Amino acid sequence: MGYLDIEHLYFQYSSKRMILKDINLSINQGEWIAILGHNGSGKSTLAKLIVGLLQPKEGRITVDGVDLLPENVYDIRKKIGIVFQNPDNQFVGVTVRDDIAFGMENLQVSKDDMLKKIDFYATKVGMQNFLDKEPSQLSGGQKQRIAIAGILAMQTDIIIFDEATSMLDPGSRAELMEYIKELHQEGLTIIMITHDIEEALYADKLVILKSGEIYQQGDIPTLLKHPEWFKEAYLELPTAIQIYYDLKQAGHDNQELEEYLWAFSSSK
Amino acid sequence: MKNIIIGQYIPGSGFLYKLDPRTKIISVIVLMVAVFLLKSIVQLSIAMGLAILILIAGKISIIRIFRGLKPIFVLLIFTFVFQIFFNKEGALWVDETMTIGFVSITSMVLWTIIWRMLAKFKKFKMILFILYIGGLYLIMKYITYGTIFTTWQFLVYEKGVEMSFFVVIRLLIIITLSTVLTLTTKPTDLTQGIEKLMRPLKVIGISSEDFALIISISLRYIPTILDEANKIMLAQASRGADFAEGKLKDKIKQIISLLVPMFIIAFKRSEDLADAMESRNFVPGRERTRIHDLKLGRLDLLTGLATVLLLAGSILVRIYL
Ligand SMILES: Nc1ncnc2c1ncn2[C@@H]1O[C@H](COP(=O)(O)OP(=O)(O)O)[C@@H](O)[C@H]1O
Ligand SMILES: [Mg+2]
Repeated sequence: MGYLDIEHLYFQYSSKRMILKDINLSINQGEWIAILGHNGSGKSTLAKLIVGLLQPKEGRITVDGVDLLPENVYDIRKKIGIVFQNPDNQFVGVTVRDDIAFGMENLQVSKDDMLKKIDFYATKVGMQNFLDKEPSQLSGGQKQRIAIAGILAMQTDIIIFDEATSMLDPGSRAELMEYIKELHQEGLTIIMITHDIEEALYADKLVILKSGEIYQQGDIPTLLKHPEWFKEAYLELPTAIQIYYDLKQAGHDNQELEEYLWAFSSSK
Repeated sequence: MKNIIIGQYIPGSGFLYKLDPRTKIISVIVLMVAVFLLKSIVQLSIAMGLAILILIAGKISIIRIFRGLKPIFVLLIFTFVFQIFFNKEGALWVDETMTIGFVSITSMVLWTIIWRMLAKFKKFKMILFILYIGGLYLIMKYITYGTIFTTWQFLVYEKGVEMSFFVVIRLLIIITLSTVLTLTTKPTDLTQGIEKLMRPLKVIGISSEDFALIISISLRYIPTILDEANKIMLAQASRGADFAEGKLKDKIKQIISLLVPMFIIAFKRSEDLADAMESRNFVPGRERTRIHDLKLGRLDLLTGLATVLLLAGSILVRIYL
């Protein structure tokens, strides 16, 4: 039993087509897992199921031993936060301060407590000098950091990132990844949903989703030994690994280069 | 698009900034009522004087207010002209015979063309408009030669002039008051104030919290949506669409081609937003604490008192004068 367990989960929207089929997943506290899948593979749907925005057709989700049901979704959401893809579509407040406060207001945190936490968590994501700014004055990366601060202030155990960096420029993207690394080091459980393998390399464990099914899962070096799996799942390999396989196929067998390329990919 | 200012709040330090939004909202409403009780130009002028005093006391630049009037300038002119033309009471002050004939119509058309050509000087729009109207008057009055089609009497009565000033001054005061409110109150505080004032409506099943949340989210998304409209327009302009010129039919087509993507995006956005709010534990109607807390102070008491006095004053004036 992990901290978050998903057992035989099936889901479909109103249409007949099953979007998720027999998903089984167990995530331990403090783990960083990446869920990698092509466009439309059902990643966002899975994320919404985990935070109770959608209800499974079959199967169950348990968090900390408690079944996720409509009756207790409010309490379970205190444990799981989610950062979505589009920075602009999740900024609820008129100012940064208001936005960080939004979740806490819903949890009925007292005003004094809120102000303290806003200061603390805004500082944590490097936004302490922006509290009075409006979203139109912020970059996408800054807005995503505010979303993180808002979730941290709710003191959840797990944060899900659903392609949270995909609309950012490379600079803010790298910056955001650094913040996420830090959170992980402090003990937060990270579920990183992405279609970008380079980003998935940060994780302890990789789950490959293909057309609504878990196609492969395991630790990253093991999975990377099977380039055909990535191809099958319509995914790309990390550039360094791709170069390694290309060289190998062309008959170059350089032990030193091989080691270097593998090390390069796991240095995240 | 860029110069549409939503909730034209401008940071400042005068006493108006320190007032609780509730005090300001109520005072503005009460003062508007008081203004509507007044019935002579003299009384209104005094009220206007008081409004200016409030501006000075609140350290608000009068030029700012004036600039705020720009968008409704046409409405003011229209009100003024309407009163002058249609109010036929009191002594007859002006009785001019206006001529419409071949030469005068030609002149008017030429004059209109000149005016339209000068319209690119946007800065002088108001002055040019006044000059244009004045020009039309002069043409109809003095160009009386050539073939005459018809004549008409331009009549101005005492009451007409009085009423037009009356209505315009009243409008000016009302606008000044509401501008003061939006200029000195942050949109967040304004919605918070409205929320608190609407609390009693809970009895008839209206949730003031939800209502305030709807307002504040709308405020938050208006700049984003305008920005998006700009992007779509640029994208379409780069593909040859021209929003400024063109036939009416083309314009309508272009507007539709702007609205369709905007609606699609807005639809997706509202879904995303609902998910984001729900995932952060928002439950409609459920009790929430608030980061913005409103507190009434001494200043609010004084302002309230002054407002009541002013209202009493205008009631007395109404009854006894
Ligand atoms: N609200 C919805 N209603 C119906 N079908 C949907 C809805 N959202 C997503 N889908 C479909 O479910 C599948 C998985 O979508 P999604 O979970 O968003 O994939 P991903 O996030 O991996 O790109 C897609 O085929 C998509 O068309
Ligand atoms: Mg997705």
